[in-house]
Amino acid sequence: MKVKTYMSREGILPRGFIERVRRIVGNEHVSQQENDLISYSLDYWLYGIFLSQKGDLPALPSAVISPASAAQIQEIIRCASEYKVPITPFGGGSGVLGGAIPLNGSVVLNLQRMNRFLSLDEFSLVAQFEAGIMGANLELELNRRGYSAGNIPQSLYCSTLGGWISTRAAGQFSTKYGKIEDMVLGMEVVLSDGNLLNIKPVPRRSIGPSLKDLFLGGEGTLGIVTRATISVHPLPKLTIKQSYIFPSIEVAVDVVRQILRAEARPAVVRIFDEAESQRYFPKIGRKVTTIFISEGETEYTKLDARIIRRISRENGGKSSGEEPVDIWLQKRFDIGLGPVVMQYGGIVDTIEVSALFKDAARLYRDMVAAMKAVEGALEVSGHYSHFYREGACLYVTFAGIPKDPQRYYQDTWDAAMKATLQNNGSISHHHGVGFWRMQYLKEELGSSGVRLLKSIKNALDPEGIFNRGKLIDGRR
Amino acid sequence: MMAEDKKETEKIARCAMCADMCKYNCPTYLATGRETLSPQKMARLIVYNEKGFLEDEKGFLDLMFQSAMCGACSKHCIYDDYDLRKFIHKARVKAFDSGVIPEDVKKRVETFRKFGNPDGEKELIDRGAGDMGYFISCSSYKDKDLLKATEKMLSKSGLAVRRFGGGDMCCGAPLYYAGDMEGFRQVSLKMKAEIEARQLRRIVVDCPTCIKMMTEIYREIGVELSVEIVHTVQLIEALLKQGKLRSTKEKRAVTFHDPCILSYDLAMSDMPRKILAALGFNLKEPVYSDEHTHCCGAAYGAKIGDHRLKDAVTSMRLNELRNTAADIYVTACPTCKSVLSEINMKYITELVVGSIIGKR
Repeated sequence: MKVKTYMSREGILPRGFIERVRRIVGNEHVSQQENDLISYSLDYWLYGIFLSQKGDLPALPSAVISPASAAQIQEIIRCASEYKVPITPFGGGSGVLGGAIPLNGSVVLNLQRMNRFLSLDEFSLVAQFEAGIMGANLELELNRRGYSAGNIPQSLYCSTLGGWISTRAAGQFSTKYGKIEDMVLGMEVVLSDGNLLNIKPVPRRSIGPSLKDLFLGGEGTLGIVTRATISVHPLPKLTIKQSYIFPSIEVAVDVVRQILRAEARPAVVRIFDEAESQRYFPKIGRKVTTIFISEGETEYTKLDARIIRRISRENGGKSSGEEPVDIWLQKRFDIGLGPVVMQYGGIVDTIEVSALFKDAARLYRDMVAAMKAVEGALEVSGHYSHFYREGACLYVTFAGIPKDPQRYYQDTWDAAMKATLQNNGSISHHHGVGFWRMQYLKEELGSSGVRLLKSIKNALDPEGIFNRGKLIDGRR
Repeated sequence: MMAEDKKETEKIARCAMCADMCKYNCPTYLATGRETLSPQKMARLIVYNEKGFLEDEKGFLDLMFQSAMCGACSKHCIYDDYDLRKFIHKARVKAFDSGVIPEDVKKRVETFRKFGNPDGEKELIDRGAGDMGYFISCSSYKDKDLLKATEKMLSKSGLAVRRFGGGDMCCGAPLYYAGDMEGFRQVSLKMKAEIEARQLRRIVVDCPTCIKMMTEIYREIGVELSVEIVHTVQLIEALLKQGKLRSTKEKRAVTFHDPCILSYDLAMSDMPRKILAALGFNLKEPVYSDEHTHCCGAAYGAKIGDHRLKDAVTSMRLNELRNTAADIYVTACPTCKSVLSEINMKYITELVVGSIIGKR
């Protein structure tokens, strides 16, 4: 193979493993062709994408296995345990922290054949899907029937339900509809011994610690999620869009705090700093712009919008109408600039963190300043999204044209993580850990937290076959 | 490197680094769940092949025949002025020139060379008179019900129409998709001569792919037809506007399958729906329709060069359509009609013909 790998070498599979797996899923669903190995070598970890231009890939899988059912996955996992072959699950491959990179000669367990809509219970407002369904198709299936899951991440068109669950994903409409952990009621998981765990869909339970939560953010290291039942919402009867310009990030964050304290629950709230406002809304220019979308039943939505309007005005907000919201709705999936910057030797990436309201504005100032101070930095900008009564997610985008791309990438991440921890924030809000963020895990969780997570990993995956080198290292 | 080439190279390199935001609608990817068939991965492999990063070139070229060439990716592309199909096609030309095309494609090309069409048809149809033509494509030619309905529609509409097609008259699409550009060029010149010889002003065509070939693709190779080419639904829409279609007390539910080229290249999704609604049909939309339609899989060895993959795409589409549980399924592409025949697919003319108000 002429492509080069820089993180791990090709694995050598034990004799007999591939033959056994072929018998389980059928010849055509096991591949060791160059085309397939390259295609499953990388997810959307952006530094990896940057390097991929030159044929440099982090790792190649030893094989790609594409099962069609949980039963087949059970057999594959039993076989992998027996032969001690590491398995990396691959959903949409949209993760930005390298969570789906097949390190250590892993074979890829491709979940994309399991992409069916299974059922909709309109009475209880729940729907069941296989884990490999693309977000956009999950929404199309629901929308056509008059519903939405309300989880609309920027990766909607390239991420899967299983991926959302595995990374504890959050969507753009999360302030009203919640994050994936608020939506998943039940799931089916293949465990490392090949047994199937069925967590039935109920609104809540009190039976010890929540087993479901082990896999919400498990990043494929603790089990393979094969299907899930999620909550759904009727499509909104009314949508009200508003936008306001505030004198500073501090004022804007405080306004949203007051709005949530007043029990309003807009689906979308986003505060754009001056740089992002300039990029999204050139007509407004370098001003702090906040957009709101209220939606749902007519009476509720009107009330929600009224609370937002009153509090925004009371705090000196200047309305800029619906237009900025429409512009954002139009541009929100456009990630087109990143590849263009990388083509010209630039490095781009995004970092999302969370903090309480008392720290949120200071965190923004400190984080952006620290990232801008790194040699080679071109632009650092941020917005807040995903609000809670207690705080928010801060999402920072950076770009640089450095002499030493690797140094710049590492230093920028270090600066961002340090600023987050110093401001009592959490180092990830919804992208997860993958392999890249593992280096900061100890500072986030503390030694006891790391030990506990390691114990969980060892208990659930004693042979360490699931997604080795991600989230947490077990005994190995 | 020429400036134009550099621009094209930059376009596909961007696609190779995109997040694959169009794959959710890609029929070959969805039918197989194979990441390698997703548009961004295809682009990455094309770039890698160009740069000499691949060892298995045969495997790569084979993969290039596993695209449905439907245009779903370009429809949903975040970049303007980019169509991955052009690059896949370029690779197919390379495969053809090196003699490494898949068996199914090879058979189709051989038949084409012998008979001048992909199915071995021998009879040439050429009847009627007038400066308006109705071109009978290879897929319409085989469809007796469609031909009968079309005849009835044309005669009831009172238009003077020259019917021609069959035999060795073909738009050349099978050769284009096989990567045989010399063969395609010859066919396009023959087609141009046939049209000019009949002194036609306007041609109606049932097949969206014929229209794409005879307009966009001919133009790309420098063959310009001096004739207006319209799709059958445009003719029907004109009849509707002229008040020549009668609304019936139709109670049946109908599902329209959007042919990929009609929807993605010709942007004609609304027209057939308007026609069906005007006739009184109750439209039942499948989950994947209009700008999210999925390719039927096309004929063996045509756009998709691997019959197993073609069957997987067809089977996926049939399931999606069956889910509407409509009384009638209808489309506006004779190939789609034939490929999806399991659900008794009709061509829109067959549904319309009974409602045309004839000339008094």
